[in-house]
Amino acid sequence: MTLDDIIKETNTFYCLECGKCSSICPISRYNPAYSPRVMVEHALLGLEDDLVYNRELFSCLTCDACQPKCPSDVNYPLFIQKMRAIASNNGEHGECAHSGTLQSLTRLVTNPAIKQRRLEWLSDEFHTSDRSDVLFFVGCAPYFEHIFDFETKSIDIIKASLKILNYFGIEPVLLPNERCCGHDMLWTGDVETFKRLAEHNAALISESGVKKIIFSCPECYQTFKENYPNYVKIDCELQHISEFLSEAIEKNEVSFKETKRTVTYHDPCRLGRHMGIYEPPRKVLEAVPGIELVEMKHSKEESLCCGTSAFTNCDLYSKQIRVERLLEAKDTGAETLITSCPKCQIHFRCAMVNKGEEKGPDVEIEVMDMVNLVANALEEKN
Amino acid sequence: MDRNGHRKIGVYVCHCGLNIAGTVDVEKVAEYAGTLDVVVVSRHYKYMCSEPGQAIIKDDIKQYELNRVVVASCSPRMHELTFRAACQDAGLNPYLYEHANIREQCSWVHKNRELATEKAKALVRAAVRRVFYQEPLEVKEAPVNPNVLVVGGGIAGIQAALDIANGEHKVYLVEREPSIGGHMAQLDRTFPTLDCSECILTPKMTEVGHHPFIELLAYSEVEAVSGSIGNFKVKVRKKARYVDESKCIGCGVCEEKCPWKVDSEFEVGLAKRKAIYIPFAQAIPNVATIDREHCAYFKTGKCRACEKFCEAKAIDFEQTDESIEIEVGSIIITTGYDIFDPSVISQYGYGRYENVITSLEFERITCAGGPTGGRILLKDGREPESVAIIHCVGSRDQRYHEYCSRVCCMYGLKYAHLIREFTNAKVYEMYIDMRCFGEGYEEFYKRISEEGVKFIRGKVARVTDRTISEEEKGKLIVLVEDTLLGKMIRAPVDMVILCIALEPRSDTEQVAKIFSLNQRADGFFMERHVKLDPVATASDGVFIAGCCEGPKDIPDTVAQASAAAAKALSLISKGRITLEAATAHVDEILCQGCGRCEETCDFHAPKVIHKDGRWVSTVNETVCKGCGACAVVCPTGAMSIRNFTRKQILSIVDALVEV
Amino acid sequence: MNEFEPVIIAFCCNWCTYAAADIAGTSRIQYPHNVNIVRVMCSGMVDPIYVLRAFEGGADGVIIAGCSYVDCHYINGPVKCDAMFERLKGIVHTLGLEDERLRREMISTSESIVFAHVVEEMVGQLKKVGPSPFRKVREDITV
Repeated sequence: MTLDDIIKETNTFYCLECGKCSSICPISRYNPAYSPRVMVEHALLGLEDDLVYNRELFSCLTCDACQPKCPSDVNYPLFIQKMRAIASNNGEHGECAHSGTLQSLTRLVTNPAIKQRRLEWLSDEFHTSDRSDVLFFVGCAPYFEHIFDFETKSIDIIKASLKILNYFGIEPVLLPNERCCGHDMLWTGDVETFKRLAEHNAALISESGVKKIIFSCPECYQTFKENYPNYVKIDCELQHISEFLSEAIEKNEVSFKETKRTVTYHDPCRLGRHMGIYEPPRKVLEAVPGIELVEMKHSKEESLCCGTSAFTNCDLYSKQIRVERLLEAKDTGAETLITSCPKCQIHFRCAMVNKGEEKGPDVEIEVMDMVNLVANALEEKN
Repeated sequence: MDRNGHRKIGVYVCHCGLNIAGTVDVEKVAEYAGTLDVVVVSRHYKYMCSEPGQAIIKDDIKQYELNRVVVASCSPRMHELTFRAACQDAGLNPYLYEHANIREQCSWVHKNRELATEKAKALVRAAVRRVFYQEPLEVKEAPVNPNVLVVGGGIAGIQAALDIANGEHKVYLVEREPSIGGHMAQLDRTFPTLDCSECILTPKMTEVGHHPFIELLAYSEVEAVSGSIGNFKVKVRKKARYVDESKCIGCGVCEEKCPWKVDSEFEVGLAKRKAIYIPFAQAIPNVATIDREHCAYFKTGKCRACEKFCEAKAIDFEQTDESIEIEVGSIIITTGYDIFDPSVISQYGYGRYENVITSLEFERITCAGGPTGGRILLKDGREPESVAIIHCVGSRDQRYHEYCSRVCCMYGLKYAHLIREFTNAKVYEMYIDMRCFGEGYEEFYKRISEEGVKFIRGKVARVTDRTISEEEKGKLIVLVEDTLLGKMIRAPVDMVILCIALEPRSDTEQVAKIFSLNQRADGFFMERHVKLDPVATASDGVFIAGCCEGPKDIPDTVAQASAAAAKALSLISKGRITLEAATAHVDEILCQGCGRCEETCDFHAPKVIHKDGRWVSTVNETVCKGCGACAVVCPTGAMSIRNFTRKQILSIVDALVEV
Repeated sequence: MNEFEPVIIAFCCNWCTYAAADIAGTSRIQYPHNVNIVRVMCSGMVDPIYVLRAFEGGADGVIIAGCSYVDCHYINGPVKCDAMFERLKGIVHTLGLEDERLRREMISTSESIVFAHVVEEMVGQLKKVGPSPFRKVREDITV
């Protein structure tokens, strides 16, 4: 794709340079070197090198706070995604966090000959089957346990999701050799790796014969739903677990124990603004008796991003955004910050690591995925 | 590749006579290197490290305007410095140089010519890729402040201070107690020569008191230390004596007149002192101190007897603690030891039976200036008819201290001798081993063993006053198995002396924190290397000596003190320190101030501070060793190590796996 | 030809294991050519990415070798390496790689024979286990 192609595809040509994008952009608020309006301006002036070799090209969180505000409906996140593909071909990748371990891992699993050991955490407590119509997509949680030096609770999300599905009599298929969905690769421009991952997953899913895939990770969910169709064919119904639960609650298929807790809910960018799923998680939380949900200052479409995307350019500004969000959560007076994205949870937990003698701002608050709260509150149906 | 600037790399493959060329086809390797990206010249030569060999490199640097150089030869541990210097001579920064090891790790360990040559090519390729990413580094130097701080005024501190002061460099000697002298001032006669401790110590103490280059800060404590080697800033708190040091002449009248008695620390509780006191006769500084906690004036507002009788008008109840800041280039820690409290070993009866005493108490008893005037007496004033000396109390014991306290066997023998010399008492030595390792020690042991002392090899089980026969009545019974005879012994004695362990000071942890020292598993301060660097520590410029580093006798203490002084003098003599160039470096945009770097570093190099409205890590490059641990724990990639960046190491890995 | 020759990358700390390897050379102790040594200042300097990158490139085995707990020039490098290695082992295990492919060793300067032995042993094991399943990952991806 050329720069011109990208401009055409993303409506960038219609940019009025009004700056509404920059004013709402969370990165722009902290990083003086970053402005969506200026990035678009460079594109329109044909200054390709100023974009491709610019560190800031990888600073965008692709959180999509900008697009809804844009009077010309410029698809800025897609613009960034496509520009990064050009950058990647020129050897530019942004600053990979965690020394590039995540990125390396994702490339490693494109290999067709590997036999991963992804399911060693699975115990008899959870029921899965080879013959179900439903597949639960686990994602990268089995690797997260070993990458970070703090507890990510990612496997807890998977376990809670399985407990929930089992509650409804579903014993889903789990793919032992599942590949990373490739979300981070696509969004940082490594389209070749993304394609291979999509192809592997498509083949595995087709082999399994399932008709429906449920996700607990919004990034995997979005990638399968919006991006995979451009590269592979997946003939399945795709659902995020919050949608699944919300449906079940509407049909009165679930009863909950009393759980006294004030919570606040963080809308993940991928689930909220990207996929439009705001109400289902809220319906689920409000269905649990005793839960009091207090909204943060910025919620739903206005929700603030957790601060890092695709484990790239995680820097001082990411931290400032994260701290702002956590302080908003603490301001609500809630005991627990609920989210429904394992990545958001990892980033929030990382912000609470405070090991210097002089401590930074106190952003400690309990963080939990919606499925963990729900799984603990499930009551046996009679 | 091009975006990193215009690189021009020169590659030099050494034959090393036949050492390399005998196995590796060096011509092929040089030819191969010439085909690599941005290598503009590639040569091979018989002896690269020779003068003509180095000249080739220097000439090429000028002629080809080389900005990176690779030499493939022996181990970098041999000649990396040689070639770096050659580059520097030709005007190229020495860190724009990389070394490929194709001798020790190639030609000398593989026989197959083809395989060895292929491996050499891979190693050269890796070096070329790595050097591409290397950046010029500045070799920095920092000046050294010639002042020295010695913390702790026992014999170790006194010796170290004198050694340095006699070199005409200023020493601050800080001592927590009102007088210097430490535990050695409390000792009576010292083994193996039995000369009086005070007699050999006092001249040194006096010298310290008068020395023009020693500023003695007694009754003071170090509160905080900042900075690093060559440039420490130290906060010292001078505690208030309520006596004007410049006026007090040490006449002792105030002490005489003071009506309030307190247990004397110097006499280990065997005698009393007054609330205003001079700790012992030979105290330096020879001035009085008011113990605020026990002074009636401070507690009730009444008395002031000392003030009334002081002719020099030196009493000053208005005095306050004073905080001063001193600047020094090096620090020597000589804080000494505490003694083990044997009351935890309840079966030995310390604290229960008044005639079970510790070794330090016995020192005070035999000392002529002590509470009994030098006479060996029981608590009721009688002379003992028999004494048991129990070794290894608290030492060599898994429940308390596993280590050996090193001095107890010798002083145990010393006590046996003194008791035999001054009384008619029977003496039992209950020992496990006799450790007489030093100069004259074994000879001393032989001498004592010929004085009629009863040696019983066994660990004492119990000391009890429960007697089972008429002869035992009124005695303390020491129950011990004589392992050489295989018999249980009941030894009835009047006095039991416990050879207690020397242990780390109770506040070692706090002191370690102030001076950035580490503690060993046994609690004493950790030295840099047990054998090869026993007085240095992980903190550059901070040295340790004497018993704070582990139990030892006076000769070893003095030797270590002089060693530490030598280290300090060496620093002062050079006057500057060369800083490690390959240190950690923070990218301030990537840094999130999480503090993982600060937590992991043993040298206290990175520190998270609040700067420009945000939290960020800063690296003290003076103490950073470039070990790389902080970069591994950094989640964002902010921390990197100069000359060992991730990009550089990854380029080696990529090059080596390339087929 | 045709016999599988494993490629092993060994990260060796400058003060202990790299020196041991040098002394193996001085003593003319022979060991298989399959190992390539990467010099790091401390085993605590080894980042998981170096190992993963080696596997990405098709390495069949990786060794991380450094000082023992009492030898470290930087005091606690091996302890820090241990912490990293626990996590790295988990990643490599989940990837499905055989245990023989990743090895942690403590080899001090005087143990050059141990170094040679470790290399020989690993080459033997890898020849049995076979080439790394990742040998073909990076053929056409340039990163």
